[in-house]
Amino acid sequence: MNVLSIVKKNKLIIIVALAYLAILLFAPDQAILSLKNSMYYVIEMLQIMPVVFLLIVAIEVLVPREVILRSFGENSGIKGNILALLLGSLSAGPIYAAFPISKTLLKKGAGISNIVIILSAWAVVKVPMLANEAKFLGVPFMAVRWVLTVIAIFLMAFITAKIVKKKDLPTDSRQAEELTINREYCIGCELCAKLLPEYYEMEGDKAVVRKSPETKADLPALRNSVEKCPAKAILLTEKEKAS
Amino acid sequence: MDIFSVGFWVVAIILTVISFIKSKKKTLGAMKQAKTMMSSMVGDIIAIIFLIGIVLTFIPPETIKSVMGSANTLLSTSISALVGSITLIPAFVAFPLVGSLVDVGASIVPAVAFLTTLTMVGIVTFPLEKKEFGTKFALTRNALSFGFAIVIALTMGVIL
Repeated sequence: MNVLSIVKKNKLIIIVALAYLAILLFAPDQAILSLKNSMYYVIEMLQIMPVVFLLIVAIEVLVPREVILRSFGENSGIKGNILALLLGSLSAGPIYAAFPISKTLLKKGAGISNIVIILSAWAVVKVPMLANEAKFLGVPFMAVRWVLTVIAIFLMAFITAKIVKKKDLPTDSRQAEELTINREYCIGCELCAKLLPEYYEMEGDKAVVRKSPETKADLPALRNSVEKCPAKAILLTEKEKAS
Repeated sequence: MDIFSVGFWVVAIILTVISFIKSKKKTLGAMKQAKTMMSSMVGDIIAIIFLIGIVLTFIPPETIKSVMGSANTLLSTSISALVGSITLIPAFVAFPLVGSLVDVGASIVPAVAFLTTLTMVGIVTFPLEKKEFGTKFALTRNALSFGFAIVIALTMGVIL
C-alpha cells in the first residue's frame, strides 16, 4: 500500500492528530486536558468493544438468516414485518450496508414496507450495539428510545408503502450474470482480491472487478465472495432461473 | 464496570460459547469477518473519541448547554436534527458521541433527535440511496425519518 492510500484511509485520525500537535505547540495545557477528557471515553469504549464483537459473531452464527430471507412474501403481513425488524436489528454495520441485501429482497418480491423496516432498524435499533448504547446513554434512555423508535419504524413503513409503489423503483433488466463492486461501500479490506484474484483486484484503496463471470462453475465461489465481503459491497446479479 | 456492562459481557461470552459448540468453523469465519469490519471502523472511532476530548476542552459545557439544552426545545431539537442529517454514520460511533454531549449538559430531546438523524438521514449518502431505490423512495424515507426523529425526541422528553 502506498503512502497516499494510507493517508486517505485514515484521514480523520490524521486530521485529529495534527490538531493535537498544533494545540500542543500553542497551548500545551489544553492539549493535556483534551487527552484527559478523551481517556474516559477510550476506557469506556475498550470495555464494550469486545462485547460488540462477540455479539456480532454469535448472531452471525446462531441466527438462520437464510430462513428469514426466504419468508418475505408480498403478503407476508405482520409476520413479514416482524421478520424485517429482526433482520435489521440483528445486523451490524451502517445503514448503507443494508442497501444491497434490500435490493435482493425487493427482487425476490418483498414489499416496500418491509424494506423500510429493514433499513430503519438497521440504522438505529441494533441488538449488537445494545451494550454500547447502555454504556454511553444509560439503560432507561435505551429502553424508551427502542420502544418509540420501533413504533415510529412501523408507522414509517406503513406511510412509505402508501406513497411509494413498486413501479417507482428503478428496475434493472439485466440479462446475464453481472458482477459489480460499489466503490462507496468498499472499505478496501482486500479480502475479495485475496479470495478470488482472477475476479477482483485492488485499485488504490478500493477493490474493482476484473472480468464478468464466465462460467457457471465459478458462481458458487463468487457467491461466497459476496457473502464474505464485510461491507457487503459486492453485488452479483444472477440470471433468473427458469424454475 | 457497571452491572449492565458486566451483564452484556456474560451474555456475549455465553452466546459465543454456544456458537463455538454449534460450529467452530462458522464461528471462526464470522470472527474474521467481524474483525475486518470493526478494524475498518476503529480508526474513525479513535479519531472521534479524541475529537470529543478537544471539543470538551475548547467548547465549554455552558456553550453546549446553551445550544443543545436551551429552553427553546423545538428550536434546539430542529438544529440538532439538521446537523445530524448531514451524513450517515454507524450507530457504533454515534452512541459515544451523543453520550459525551449528554454528559456535558445537552438535553435528552435534542440529543435523541441528533442520534436518530445521524444514523437514519443522510444528505451526503442520498445519491447512493437514490441510485439503489429511486428518488421517490429515498426522498420519502429520509423525510419521514427526519420527521419521526423529532417526534421520537419530543416524546422521550415527555417520558424521561
